[in-house]
Amino acid sequence: MNGFLSTYGFLIVSMVMGALLGLSLYLPLMTGQLSLASPGFYALGGYIAAILSTQVFKVSDGLYPIGLVLLEMSIAGVVSGVLGVLVGIPALRLRGIYLAIATIAFVEVLRVLSLNLDITGGAVGIFGIPQPFLTPIEYLWIAIPLLLVTMVLLYRLERIRLGRAFTAIREDELAAGAMGIDPTHYKVLAFTLGAILAGVVGAVSAHFLNTWNARQGTFDASIVYLTSVLIGGTRTFVGPVLGGMVFTALPEVLRAIADTAGLPLWLAQFLRDGRLIIFGVLIVLGTIFFPQGLVTPDLFKRQKNRKSHS
Amino acid sequence: MIGENLTTSNPILSAKTINRTFGGLVAVNNVSFTVNKNEIFGLIGPNGAGKTTLFNMITGLIEPSGGQLFYQGEEISFLRPHQIAKAGIARTFQNIRLFGELSALENVTIARHIHTKSGFIRGILGLPPAPSEENRTKQKALELLDLVGLSDRAFQKARNFPYGDQRRLEIARALALEPQVLLLDEPAAGMNPSEKNQLSEFIREIRSQFNLTIILIEHHVPLVMGLCDRIAVLNFGKLIALGDPAQVRTDPAVIEAYLGSE
Ligand SMILES: Nc1ncnc2c1ncn2[C@@H]1O[C@H](COP(=O)(O)OP(=O)(O)OP(=O)(O)O)[C@@H](O)[C@H]1O
Ligand SMILES: [Mg+2]
Repeated sequence: MNGFLSTYGFLIVSMVMGALLGLSLYLPLMTGQLSLASPGFYALGGYIAAILSTQVFKVSDGLYPIGLVLLEMSIAGVVSGVLGVLVGIPALRLRGIYLAIATIAFVEVLRVLSLNLDITGGAVGIFGIPQPFLTPIEYLWIAIPLLLVTMVLLYRLERIRLGRAFTAIREDELAAGAMGIDPTHYKVLAFTLGAILAGVVGAVSAHFLNTWNARQGTFDASIVYLTSVLIGGTRTFVGPVLGGMVFTALPEVLRAIADTAGLPLWLAQFLRDGRLIIFGVLIVLGTIFFPQGLVTPDLFKRQKNRKSHS
Repeated sequence: MIGENLTTSNPILSAKTINRTFGGLVAVNNVSFTVNKNEIFGLIGPNGAGKTTLFNMITGLIEPSGGQLFYQGEEISFLRPHQIAKAGIARTFQNIRLFGELSALENVTIARHIHTKSGFIRGILGLPPAPSEENRTKQKALELLDLVGLSDRAFQKARNFPYGDQRRLEIARALALEPQVLLLDEPAAGMNPSEKNQLSEFIREIRSQFNLTIILIEHHVPLVMGLCDRIAVLNFGKLIALGDPAQVRTDPAVIEAYLGSE
């Protein structure tokens, strides 16, 4: 067991983080807004934690206090939330593919900024971010509660007035407006909630990964989490949770397969480096054959019905 | 009682030389009229006459190119749809815009939005008064479904309902807003003759039960003539007649417009 955890600890924590980032994309999608801004807020949250822990709090000896990590997460959440509102108000005037493009541009702007600013360590980034734990797997102490809390929030959200307003806008924005729901207000709110979540996850990830630089939270990452949500499912939070885990693990699994003996060289190469191609193909096929993703609310309803009949 | 209201003429909604152009096309051309409180006001005219465009302007979906709209004495010409709904004007759509993937019950509960207020924290944590508000919302929605005869299928997806039932569900959803004014865009379209008769009766009932003012677009002439207190006739964007059914039926311009278009 210990051997397993030390071998796969890193991957397991990454999968939980992947689920959380999938959810950060899912939140704006609850109002039908395809935003790819999450990696930007994730990067921002990571820089906030990296800068605070290496330059402000500077705990020299022993393990870094978890309390400070939680404080960094809160600060990252607040900053991402404020920036989320500021970016969301103009960006959410755009729809569909235009919103997606605008949010990709936002992520690029942040990336270029982080490459050129001193405080973010330029191209080198920030390294030696202090560790609150001795082994990677222990990050689950933060990641699992964070995932559980987020899932409970979303479970509740889908059942209350606010969630209904989100759903109405996703289903038919025009009809939602005619029902007294202000689409702009709720779209900005959903976008901001996603931004906060991504920022908080970024803060944890900075510690977890030990270094933070402009390669964190790039367009590549958007594609992974987009796949998580689109294939996992866009109509219930369970979809992005499962999707986020599976698609975070997938490249590792492919790499493992590539290492098996006797594979043709080109195939091994493809399995190792063809990640984005595979994700791209999955997105295309998935959206054609499973427009709501694989995990749909109907799945649970059918399950429930079957139980009540037996 | 209705006659009384008409003679005392108590305006609730009015259009003042309202205009709308789409490119070179004048869809609504200097139309003025006043709708009185509690009346059933018919809006008829050949295809493309500008009826739906007028509804879209009243409900804030599109902006007028000129002129003004007033509701209870206040100008509403440039309010956004959700503000219009909040002010007390609800509508149904000619091409049915239910939330198709959601259940009938969810469709109606969504429309309770402006009459509920629990926000993020209280809602998520289920703190009072959110749970009781939630119960009341569901209760109210079920009552409305019952009113339109759909309560036994409350959990069915809206898009699986037959056409006539979808139209009734849209009315229930609009009523959930507790509006003062209800705009119905061709509510009888796609219904069979017996459903149409029931609909007439039903519209009269909800008018008195909820003290509504109703504006009705409808092509089915017998239904309009039998139901409406007054009727406005549009043709090519222009108001060509306005009066009670007897007046409108014998109006030469109306006869001309209808014969000319057929
Ligand atoms: N969004 C739009 N863009 C361009 N033209 C439009 C638009 N909406 C309506 N029109 C045009 O305006 C005119 C009036 O349309 P409108 O839908 O108001 O007619 P209507 O009286 O409701 O007709 P129908 O009985 O067929 O529903 C038509 O010529 C229509 O093509
Ligand atoms: Mg029309």
